[in-house]
Amino acid sequence: MNEPIVKFDIDLSKLTANQKSVLKLLVEAAELIAPIYLEQENHNLPGSNFYPADVTKDQILEAAKEDPELLSPYTIVERDNGKLVAVPYHQKYAELLKPVAEKLQQAAELTDDKEFSQSLKVQAEVLLNGDYPKATQTWMEMKPYLLDVNIGPSERYDDKLMFIKTSYQAWVGVMDKVESARMTEYKDMILTARRKVLFSSEKVDYFDKVQTRVDDLVISTGLKARNLPVGTNLPNNFSLMEKLGSEITLFKQSNDLRTAKNRIVFNQLFSEQFKAEFSEEDLREGSLYSTALHELAHTYLRYRDSEKRLQDLFPVIDELAATVMGVKVCGALLVKDIVTQKQLESIMLAYMIRSFNNILNERDNPSRLHYTVGGAIFINYLRENGALKETGGVSWPNFMKMYVSVDELATILERILSQGTRSDAEHLITRYGSLSVFPKVVH
Amino acid sequence: MAKLKQINHSPKTYLTAIGLEKLQIELDELKTIKRHDISDRISRARELGDVAENAEYDAALDEQALVENRISDLEQALRQAKVIKNEVVQHEIVTIGSTIMVEMDGEVDQFTIVGRVEANPAKKLISNESPVGSALLGARIGETVEVATPIVRLRCKVLEIK
Repeated sequence: MNEPIVKFDIDLSKLTANQKSVLKLLVEAAELIAPIYLEQENHNLPGSNFYPADVTKDQILEAAKEDPELLSPYTIVERDNGKLVAVPYHQKYAELLKPVAEKLQQAAELTDDKEFSQSLKVQAEVLLNGDYPKATQTWMEMKPYLLDVNIGPSERYDDKLMFIKTSYQAWVGVMDKVESARMTEYKDMILTARRKVLFSSEKVDYFDKVQTRVDDLVISTGLKARNLPVGTNLPNNFSLMEKLGSEITLFKQSNDLRTAKNRIVFNQLFSEQFKAEFSEEDLREGSLYSTALHELAHTYLRYRDSEKRLQDLFPVIDELAATVMGVKVCGALLVKDIVTQKQLESIMLAYMIRSFNNILNERDNPSRLHYTVGGAIFINYLRENGALKETGGVSWPNFMKMYVSVDELATILERILSQGTRSDAEHLITRYGSLSVFPKVVH
Repeated sequence: MAKLKQINHSPKTYLTAIGLEKLQIELDELKTIKRHDISDRISRARELGDVAENAEYDAALDEQALVENRISDLEQALRQAKVIKNEVVQHEIVTIGSTIMVEMDGEVDQFTIVGRVEANPAKKLISNESPVGSALLGARIGETVEVATPIVRLRCKVLEIK
């Protein structure tokens, strides 16, 4: 698990003096988020520190009938004379948030870009008044700018009790214009082909409102630093998605770190003959574009009440579904000559290695548990279909069988997301989610 | 991830009339403007002194090589060009130049099949030599064809030919 603050040295030579000064303030603001995250984080409790340690899920749901704010993503649940009460984040952490808002305000006054200035002012205000949808809307509606900052409570992965409460996090990035243009081109090629959906009335449709960018990551803090995801896809709220669309950001430095980890596992798992066929660049691009396709595929899989039906198992099914759907979509790109066979193989390989890496090295990281279990389902499904075999301590993938498996798994997962129950999700996880894959290699 | 646009020299290069015009314009620009611009850049870089440690000189030389390759490719493609006339493009059978709506692997997509030199997937121009392009040539409305690569096999149904 990473520290709650992770910084990267990136090339800033293309930034103006003004942009460099603004960037410095943004990094300082992001750093101040880490202590707030540490107050929320508690991996000894399924509900972290979002709820009283001894409270049950049923008690919260019962109390929420009287006070729906208990189920808000932006409140801490506490006991007051035995009664469960909701305390808004911006009040609970007011003292810690004040200096963050001040840094953002200073950056807003310093920047020579009016629209960015406005976005920073809104982000600063919202940290102190709790009107988070307003900050999201301003952030998403501004035209792409070289600098990017996102600060506030966002992802729910630390709330394993209810999958409701959001953790504080921040990132600051600098746009890579060339990679961003390429990503936008891929997005257009993928999302202009309209997928048939299983239950159209339940589908959240925002295909025309997806924005993408690729950034050099300067700093990541809070939950974002713990996981250092290669991609992020915001907002998480379906009604905001429907209204505003979504913004996908890929982080090059996170991908480089992931590629380095993947390389170790790749060397451990495969034969010399197989390894010789994939260069470092194949692994790097495979990882980056597997993430890009994963994030784009989410667009196909947003079913309105899926979180409510699948409850705490939603993240496992949702994240795995996006990955396999991304690979499936890549098959359509291959037959149109948009990607090569080698690129599709690299993308499948990247996800397979990442799944093994999660099982081998991240199984004790609670923030990644949903990815780890999802990866185990993927690997075990491949094994059952004969797409992945183990001989003499090394693994042998069959990419054709792998694509067939991906196709089948994508259908199963989309069915669960569109109309399945928690019990359906649990059945799949019980059958395929064992972390004891390839005992010879893993242990 | 982006593939380098390469022109393979098979005997015929199929082009639509618009595609032919675009390639001719691109070739003219490369020969009359770009080639001279790069030549000027190389001269200016030389004037800066020692070319051994001159990044601008190296970059200009690299670009010159790319431009000359592209000129060579375009000249050869145009020499071998076979233009698909509008009147040949039918609405019952998929040919090069057909704009078609298909259902493939759960998605509905619309694109135009063009010769490989004109192919630009970002603009929905798919090569006749791509797996899906070659599988669809000659197909009729309502017909389902199998598109096969060593890894991926998909069924593709022609919904409409425009």
